[in-house]
Amino acid sequence: MEARNIDVKSEISCQHLYKSFPGMDGNVTEVLKDVNLSVAKNEFLVILGPGQCGKTTLLNIMAGLDSSDSGEILLNDVPVSGPNPNLGLVFQRMALMPWKTVMGNVSMGLKFRGVSKKEREEKARYFINLVGLSGFEKSYPYQLSGGMKQRVGIARAYCSDPEVLLMDEPFGALDAQTRYMMEEEILRIWEKAKRTVVFVTNNIEEAIYLGDRIVLLSRCPATVKAVYPIDLARPRQFTDSRFLEVRQKIADNTDLAL
Amino acid sequence: MNAKASPAEIFSRFLPLTSLLLIIIVWQFAATGGYFGKSLPSPVAVVNQFVDMLAEPVGKTILGGHIWASMRRVLTAFAVAVLIGIPMGLLMGWNKKAEAIIKPIFEIFRPIPPIAWIPLAILWFGIEETPKVFICFIGAFIPAVMNAYTGIRFTDPLLLDAARSQGANLRQLFKEVAVPSALPAIFAGLQNGLSLCWMCVLAAEMVGAEEGVGYLILRGMDMSNPAMIITGMLIIGAVGALIAVGLRYVERWVCPWKREISM
Repeated sequence: MEARNIDVKSEISCQHLYKSFPGMDGNVTEVLKDVNLSVAKNEFLVILGPGQCGKTTLLNIMAGLDSSDSGEILLNDVPVSGPNPNLGLVFQRMALMPWKTVMGNVSMGLKFRGVSKKEREEKARYFINLVGLSGFEKSYPYQLSGGMKQRVGIARAYCSDPEVLLMDEPFGALDAQTRYMMEEEILRIWEKAKRTVVFVTNNIEEAIYLGDRIVLLSRCPATVKAVYPIDLARPRQFTDSRFLEVRQKIADNTDLAL
Repeated sequence: MNAKASPAEIFSRFLPLTSLLLIIIVWQFAATGGYFGKSLPSPVAVVNQFVDMLAEPVGKTILGGHIWASMRRVLTAFAVAVLIGIPMGLLMGWNKKAEAIIKPIFEIFRPIPPIAWIPLAILWFGIEETPKVFICFIGAFIPAVMNAYTGIRFTDPLLLDAARSQGANLRQLFKEVAVPSALPAIFAGLQNGLSLCWMCVLAAEMVGAEEGVGYLILRGMDMSNPAMIITGMLIIGAVGALIAVGLRYVERWVCPWKREISM
């Protein structure tokens, strides 16, 4: 299974990441312990781990929003030292600016970089269309449903034209029905606009449904417990016997409540 | 709203009117019953007084002139307070050093009621317009600073992260995230400040003025004309309410994304 990725150039990788936080009682809580992973170009990698295991911390470090105590993130062999336009982030809590319209939210990254209004709106319109929100350009976030908000979040991450999309439990705040729909949607969008994706979740079905590969994290402090390539053809079926087989194999190796 | 409102809905829509009417009826009976002697005029007497004052001057000017005199003081003070206070509050909320310098000074002055400044204001600025505007300024200044400050401080770190991951620099974080997210708090501060301003102007005018609504009330007392006092009081309430409504419209225009909440 490793052989598959050796000749493919890794686009982003984590090298021996360590991170701990001072706890309330004065003790230090170790959150990440020697995390190593590498993601190939245009791969859909899912990081699966139990709640509170440091997945968000890991993703924030990968996004350059937080720093590790030791170890480094390499993006195309260059260490990541801060937020980088080549790293697009999608948040669990959407993190849309309530005062910006859909258009304003999606195009904000280009605005920060000084792209002209005409050019950034043109580009934003393309991605708004891609996520299926045409006609909602002028809506404010409060006028959108949860699923629609996250579509805006995805379009926003895409719009800065990053090489890597980091998604932090993007569907965790959605109801089950919307969640299934968005899982299909994210694959449709990704097939149309291929990027390297690192998708964090605590949902085993979601992981198997989406991932080219699943990295299983252990409970706190998080470390890579196992890596599973998923070579099921898409679209995958939750009830398919091979799907269930993989699910069983991963479940046997975790302490996730299943 | 729709054509087929049930009787219960119609009833509940008229409830506020009913309670207002009730107050006026009770007031009328209390006035004509003579429980307060001559010091409680009837609603009719107040309306008459109001109509009289529309055309007939009290002191230097008619009613409209008095309202304008008070308004002018309030608006001048409010404008100055907003122009200085909001930038100061924003700076204090955004910059740790500015916070360390300004906040302690502020904590000392904050709990002092604006009206407590009246004696000093008179000693410093005499009895003309300046001390009145100054008192109003203090009233509006403190909420303007405090709300801009807390508004910035309560900016959701998640939104700052989102903007940072989108490549925002410090200046853009301030302009595109912190300030807009502080706007609702700032507007709440302006509402507060404006109503405080309006209270302060009355207090300042009662200490010594030749025009203004506060002067009217005091004049009413001097002339043993309770109808004039009550007219003045009602006008204070009405103007205060109108100002608040006006500011709410401005807020709805500046913060359209909050429309659903402020409705």
